[in-house]
Amino acid sequence: MNFLNYIIRRLLLLIVVLIGVTLIIFALLSLFTPEQRASAFIRDIKQLEHIDSIIKTYGLDRPIFVQYFNWLREIFRGNFGWSTTVSRPAIEAFKNFLPNTVELALFSAPFIILGGIWLGSVSAVHHDKPIDHFTRFLSIVGWSLPTFWFGLVLLMVFYGYFRGLFPPEILGYKAQVFVESGEFVRYTRINTIDALLNGRFWIFVDAIRHLVLPVITLTTIQIALVMRIMRSSMLESLGKGYVLTARAKGAAPRTVIRKHARRNALIPVITVSGWLFAQLMGGVVITETIFNRKGLGWWWAKAATQLDIPAVLMAVLFNGALFVVINLIVDLLYAYIDPRVRLR
Amino acid sequence: MLVRELQSAESVLEIDRLKVNFYTYDGVVKAIDEISFALEDGDTLGIVGETGCGKSVTVLSILRLILPPGRIESGCILYGTKDSCIDLTQKNDEFMRSIRGNDISMIFQEAGNALNPVLSVGYQVSESFLLHRQQELCESVLNRIAEKRDRLSAYQRFRTWRYRRKLRKAEGNLLKDRHYGRLLKVEALRWSVDLLRSLGIPNPDELVKRYPHELSGGMQQRVVISMALGCNPAVLIADEPTSNLDVTIQAQILQLLEDLKERYHSSILFITHDLGVVSEVSDKVIVLYAGTIVEFAEVRELFKNPLHPYTSALLHSVPHLGSRERLESIGGNVPNLVSPPSGCRFHPRCPHVMDICREQKPELYRGMEGADNRHLAACFLYQQEGVA
Amino acid sequence: MIFLKKRRIVLDFEQHPRLKEFKFSFSKILRNPLSLIGLSLIFLFLMIALFTPLIAVPEKPEEPFRIPHEGYSVVPKPPSPGHPFGTTTKQYDIFYGVIWGTRTAFRIGFMVVGSILVIGLVVGSISGYFGGIIDEIIMRITDIFMALPLLILAMAIVTALGRSLDNIMKSLIIVGWPIYARTIRGSILTIREEDFVRAAQAQGAGTLRVIFKHVLPNAIYPVLILASLDIGAMVLTAAALSFLGLGAQEGYADWGQMVSLARNYIVGPQGQPFLYWYVVTIPGLFILFFVLGWNLLGDALRDIFDPRLRRK
Repeated sequence: MNFLNYIIRRLLLLIVVLIGVTLIIFALLSLFTPEQRASAFIRDIKQLEHIDSIIKTYGLDRPIFVQYFNWLREIFRGNFGWSTTVSRPAIEAFKNFLPNTVELALFSAPFIILGGIWLGSVSAVHHDKPIDHFTRFLSIVGWSLPTFWFGLVLLMVFYGYFRGLFPPEILGYKAQVFVESGEFVRYTRINTIDALLNGRFWIFVDAIRHLVLPVITLTTIQIALVMRIMRSSMLESLGKGYVLTARAKGAAPRTVIRKHARRNALIPVITVSGWLFAQLMGGVVITETIFNRKGLGWWWAKAATQLDIPAVLMAVLFNGALFVVINLIVDLLYAYIDPRVRLR
Repeated sequence: MLVRELQSAESVLEIDRLKVNFYTYDGVVKAIDEISFALEDGDTLGIVGETGCGKSVTVLSILRLILPPGRIESGCILYGTKDSCIDLTQKNDEFMRSIRGNDISMIFQEAGNALNPVLSVGYQVSESFLLHRQQELCESVLNRIAEKRDRLSAYQRFRTWRYRRKLRKAEGNLLKDRHYGRLLKVEALRWSVDLLRSLGIPNPDELVKRYPHELSGGMQQRVVISMALGCNPAVLIADEPTSNLDVTIQAQILQLLEDLKERYHSSILFITHDLGVVSEVSDKVIVLYAGTIVEFAEVRELFKNPLHPYTSALLHSVPHLGSRERLESIGGNVPNLVSPPSGCRFHPRCPHVMDICREQKPELYRGMEGADNRHLAACFLYQQEGVA
Repeated sequence: MIFLKKRRIVLDFEQHPRLKEFKFSFSKILRNPLSLIGLSLIFLFLMIALFTPLIAVPEKPEEPFRIPHEGYSVVPKPPSPGHPFGTTTKQYDIFYGVIWGTRTAFRIGFMVVGSILVIGLVVGSISGYFGGIIDEIIMRITDIFMALPLLILAMAIVTALGRSLDNIMKSLIIVGWPIYARTIRGSILTIREEDFVRAAQAQGAGTLRVIFKHVLPNAIYPVLILASLDIGAMVLTAAALSFLGLGAQEGYADWGQMVSLARNYIVGPQGQPFLYWYVVTIPGLFILFFVLGWNLLGDALRDIFDPRLRRK
C-alpha cells in the first residue's frame, strides 16, 4: 500500500509541476500579440485566414486566465495547435521528430554510461596516481568543450577533410528516398531499428554513419558526468569496512573491487544515468542543430527563435513531464537495487 | 633471509621487533616502534591501550593489510609451530591471501560496517568457503551428485567424471564454470547454514537470505564471527568486537567466543580499550602505549600488581566497585607520533621519570626476581632484574 | 602547542582553526596537478582581463566592446601583422574580439553565478532551516523552475524581449538558481541535526546567529564547488546562445558571437578544407580554456572538500 501511495504522490507532483511550468510560459507569452498567439489554437493551415474569428472564439483578447483555461481545454481534446515552423499540427510534428531524438539518445547513452563507469572505476582504484589525474583531466576537457564548437570542428575534419566520411543529417539521399517509399515499413520510425527489421542492411549502415559524429560529440562531452560520480562513489566504497573485511577474508583484489566495492558504488550512478537520459531526450538542441538532425531539439530551437507558440508550449510540457517521470523512475530503480532503500 | 625459529615451543604466532611507519603529509608517523610479543597456542592474548596507541595497526600488520602510506619497516612475524614456521613479512600477496580468513582470521569493531549492504548474509558467510575450501566443496558436490547417479543422464555422468579428473589434477577454478560454479555456491550456502546453526543462531536458513541491515547489532556481530571461523583458523584476531554493543549483547558475544575457542582450539588476539572486558576474556595481556609495549603479564597478575607506571595509572583511573578513592587521570597528552618523545615514549607523563628515561629506550625487563617470571615491563625501574 | 624543535622566525602560537583549515585547503590545491593547471589558466585569463585595454587598444574608448573592422568583406583573412589572429566574416579582427571577449566572459560568469548564488542561498537557507510547510512549498517551486528547459526558455525570452547579452543572463539566472537552493537546503538539513548546532542552541544562541555562524560556514562547501563549476557552464551556455544568434549583437566582443560569425566558413573550399581554421578554432579555444580552468578548479575543490578524502 505504501508503494501505491508513493506513486500517486509523485504523479500529483507531476501535475503540479506541469501546471506551474506552463503558467510561467503562458505569462511570458502574454507579451505577444493576439495574432501570434492564435496559432496555438488552430489545427490546419486553412484556419489561418480566419484568424480574427479564432481570436474571438478563444478569447485571445480576454484576460490571461481565461486564455489559459481555454488552452488547457484544447489540450485535453488533443489539439496542441499548429506549428508554423514546420507547417503541421504540433502533435504530428512531435510524432515525426521524437524517433530521431530517441535514436540519438539510444546510441549515445550506453557509451556515456558504460564509458563513464569504466573510467571512474579505474580512476578510483588508482587514486592520486598519474592514471587518475590523466583520466580526470581528459574527461574534464571533454566537459569543457563547447558543444557547438566541437561539433563544428568534427564536421570540419570528418566531413570536410575526409570528404563525407561521417556526414551530418540523418540519412543519405538515396537512403532517405528509399525509406520514404512504400517498400520500407516504418515500424518504430527509428531508422536504425527499422532498417534492421526490414532487412535492409545498407540503410542501417548509412544511418550509423550519420550517427557517428553526433554520438562522438555527445559522448566526449557528457562522459565526465558519469565518470565523476562513479569515481567519487567508488572512492567512498573502497574506504568502507566491508572492503577491509573482504580483504581480511583473503579475497583477491580484483574480486574485492568488482564484487564488493563496485556494486555499492554503482548505486548513485543510477541517478546520474537517469538525469543523463533526461538531458539527452530533452536537451540536445545544439547537437541536433549543428548536425541538422531533425529531432525534437532541432524543432524546438527553430520554434523558439521564430516564436512558434504551440511548439514552445509543447516543449515546456514535454520537458516538465520528462523531469518528473525520470525522477520517479530513478527513485524506483534505487529502491529496487539497494536493499536498504525499500520503499517505506 | 634469516631463518627464524619460534622462541617458545608453545607459540603459534610471534612478533619480533616489528616496526611500522606511515608516510603522511604531516611527516613520518612512527606508529609501531619495535614491538615483540608471542601468542601461545590455545591462549587468549588481550591487547589493551588507548585509542591511537597502535593496537589495530599491529594486528593489521600481521595479516599484511596495511596499505600505503603505511609500511612495515622491519621485523618479523612468525607463524606456525616450532618445527615449521614462516615469516609473514616475507611472503607475497598471493600467499597472504591463502592465509587470510583461512589460518588467521579477523573480526572488526563495527559489524554493521564489516558487512556489505548489497550482498546477502548467506553469500558473505559462504565467501570464505568459496575462497579457501574449493576442493572440499567440489568433493561434497560431486558426492552429492554421485548419490543420485542412477538418475543422471549419460552426459551429466560424463561431466561429473571430467570434473573429478580436473579436481584430482587440481587444475582450473571450478567456480568459473557456469554449471558447477552454481552448484558450488549452493553447497557453500548449505555449509554456511550448518555453521550458523552450530553457533546457536536460530533459523539459519531464513537468515542467509536476509541482508545485513535487517539484522540487529548482536546478530550482525555473530554473523561476522561465523564468517571468520568458517575455515577453522588457528588464530582469531578480534579488533574491539564488542565495543559498540550493549552490555548484555556484549556478554553473549564474549561467551560465544569462549565456546568457539574451546571447540575449535584456536588462539585469540583480543584487542580492546575496555579493562573490564580484558579481565574477563584474556589469559594474558599486553599493554600498548604510543606504539610500544609497556607491559606483559598474565591477566590476574596484571590487575593485582601493575608494574609499569602507565598501567597502574590506567587501573587507577577506572572506578572499582566498593572503592571510594578519587579517580586520577593521567597528566599530559597522548604524544604526537611524528615526533615522539625521546627515549621512553611515556616519560613526559611519568611520575617516576628518571634521567635515563629521556635518553634511552627501555627493553622489556622482568618485573620480579626469578628467571621464569613471565611478568614483563618496559621500564627502567626494573632494569636491574634483567632483560626478558 | 609550541614546537620546541622547530626554530621558526614566525610565531607559532595556536593558530585560529579556521585559518589552519584554509591554509590546509590551499596547500592541497597547490599540490594537485589538475587544480594547479586550472588555477594557472584562470590566472592567465584574469591577467588578460585586467590588462585588456593595454593589450587590445579600443578604437572608440566609449564603446570598447565593438570589434573594429576594416571594410565589409565577407571572406575571412588569415593572420597578418596588423591582425595577429586574422579577421573573420565582415572583417572583424579576431584578436581584438577574443581579448575583449575575456572581459565579457568574466562578466557573464561572475554576474550570473553571483546572482544565482545569492538567490539560491537565501531561498535554500529559509527552506532548509525552517522546514515544514515552507520547505514543501519552496521545494515545489524549485521543482517547477528546474523543469523549465533552459535553451527554450532563453530563446523565448530573448526573442520576446530583444537580443542582448543581458537578456541571456536574465534567462540563465531564472533557470540557474534552483540547484543552489536545493544544494544548500540539503546541506543545511544535514548540518542542522549535528550536535554542535544543538549545543549552540542550548547555549541560547538566536536563530540568525546559529545560521550564520554555525550552519552556513559548514554547509557552504558544496555550493562553492557548484559555483566554480557553474562559472564555466554559464559561459558555455551563453556562448551557445550567442552562437545561435540570440546573444550579443553582431560585432560585440563575445566568444560565442565570434564563432557564429564563422558559420559559413567552417569548411574551406574544395581541396583546402582547413583554409579558414582560425575563424572557428581561435575563439573556440578561448572558450575551451576559460571553461577548462574553472572546471579543473571546481573538480579539484570537490576532492579537497570531501571530508572522507581530506585527511589522507
